[in-house]
Amino acid sequence: MDRRSFMKWSWGVGGLTALIAAVGVSLGAVLRFLMPSVFYEPPQAFKIGNPGDFPFGPPTFLVEEKIFVFRDREKGFSAASAVCTHLGCTVNHFASDQKFHCPCHGSVFAADGSVQHGPAPRALDWFEVTQARDGQLRIDKNKVVPPSYRLMV
Amino acid sequence: MNLLQEIYQSIVRRDPLSTDKGKSELVFLNVWLHIHPAKVKREHMKFTHTFYLGFITLFLFLILITTGVALMCYYRPYPAAAYQDMKDLQFVVFMGPFLRAMHRWSAHGMVVCVFLHMCRVFYTGSYKKPRQFNWVVGVVLLLLTLGLSFTGYLLPWDQLAYWAITVGTNIGGYAPLVGGQLRELLLGGHTVGEAALLRFYVLHVAVLPSAVILLTMVHLWRVRKDGGLSRPLSKLKPEPQQKLVTIGAVPEIVQLKTQPALSSKTYGLMEVVTGKPIFETISPEEEDDAVFSYPFAFVREALALMATVTGIMTISLFFHAPLEELANPAKTPNPAKAPWYFLGLQELVSHSALLGGVVAPAVMVLALLVIPYIDRNPSRQLKARKWALGLFAAFVAVNLILIVVGTFFRGPGWAMVPPWVHVVGGTE
Repeated sequence: MDRRSFMKWSWGVGGLTALIAAVGVSLGAVLRFLMPSVFYEPPQAFKIGNPGDFPFGPPTFLVEEKIFVFRDREKGFSAASAVCTHLGCTVNHFASDQKFHCPCHGSVFAADGSVQHGPAPRALDWFEVTQARDGQLRIDKNKVVPPSYRLMV
Repeated sequence: MNLLQEIYQSIVRRDPLSTDKGKSELVFLNVWLHIHPAKVKREHMKFTHTFYLGFITLFLFLILITTGVALMCYYRPYPAAAYQDMKDLQFVVFMGPFLRAMHRWSAHGMVVCVFLHMCRVFYTGSYKKPRQFNWVVGVVLLLLTLGLSFTGYLLPWDQLAYWAITVGTNIGGYAPLVGGQLRELLLGGHTVGEAALLRFYVLHVAVLPSAVILLTMVHLWRVRKDGGLSRPLSKLKPEPQQKLVTIGAVPEIVQLKTQPALSSKTYGLMEVVTGKPIFETISPEEEDDAVFSYPFAFVREALALMATVTGIMTISLFFHAPLEELANPAKTPNPAKAPWYFLGLQELVSHSALLGGVVAPAVMVLALLVIPYIDRNPSRQLKARKWALGLFAAFVAVNLILIVVGTFFRGPGWAMVPPWVHVVGGTE
């Protein structure tokens, strides 16, 4: 290759590389721009009230947080996610059979959250329940615990 | 008077329509009409050849743009206002329910017509060479139509909208590797909320319509450049017989036939180049069957337009678009159903989210896209395409059955409930 054609070739390759890099970086920047840096969504950890607010027996459904809070006389507090693991519909808890039923595609979860029927790929999540310093119960959705987890107050 | 005449002639520069030259100039000197050929073959205008499905789809899209822009004047895309604006449109705004109904029925109609149009093109074998690429453009337009319907579905912010989109976007979340991020990108968050509503609105009123307009232009352009509409099967010329060639033999030299120019016609010549055209050409003899687009084709198009608009208006008078209660993230309606054209997908998803929600639709779309390239059979005759026709019929049948099952046979908890059984109360 002589000097002249080498120069031509390097201009071509260099130019093309620069163009691809510029387009790539721009596309990346656009994608990053579309991905929010801050989510103005409800916090993942929150207080839900005093232990005395929750009755024994059927679970209390927290509407905003989509969580069932169970209170058992012997074992204590536990919190199950009400979001179906299949496609995110809100499951219902039936007192009649103590199971969770998803209205969208018919998934049924046992009392411990495990899948009994339907297309759900995994069991319902159980979240850690702790007691804050002011005595209120606190749930952290980032901390998934086994279904046997209980908080005794 | 002279000035008026001058103004008119500066706008309309063609010869009078009583002349053939005027009829041609009407088409190719006009930016709106020049997508038509100056002359069309009679066989192409026959209703049963195309059922005018492409035109009807285009007209429905025009209705959607018109009514959509009108609806935009009363709609604010954030949760606190959206549902209230829908209620306003429903009960306060003059003709609000009628415009909403027109928008909704045109959207449904467009999904139906795009699909039927695709079936027509398939059964007449019109995706075959040289029209392969236009089929691909058509499939992308089908997907964009579904995307427009899906994004529009969320905007009323009622229970129906909220849960259909929750289910729909969660299906996307199952896509391997990028699923979760894709969903976050689409929703602008982790759940369907304020950010998702705004993003769906932007997609619905700006991004997707622009894409549809641009691709429709390409689609129509390619119809012309690929040689116009494909010929009806009954008019197809017999396929050329394969000739046996002796290797090493001197190739036969085909003498080009020359045709004397007709003195009664004007010929415009753009450029003289050598080589064969890539598109279908018509011979001078075939031109005898052609008539001027004005008025023959235009009258038929105008009739199709009027029939489409009248049809949509009539339906909208009697059937209004539904509006359920305000979106409630805590309470999923039972059963929660996607829009009907996605109910086949939901039916698949009820069996397996990954297989039914991601793999099956991806395979279906890919198969549609590559049809013109894997179908190597050059014949367009029905008799010679038994396999292709059978497979496509199966594809249509499976989709229809899934949609019918999802729509009419699924009750509370997605349990199999035939439509003639009435579930009282349901299980909450």
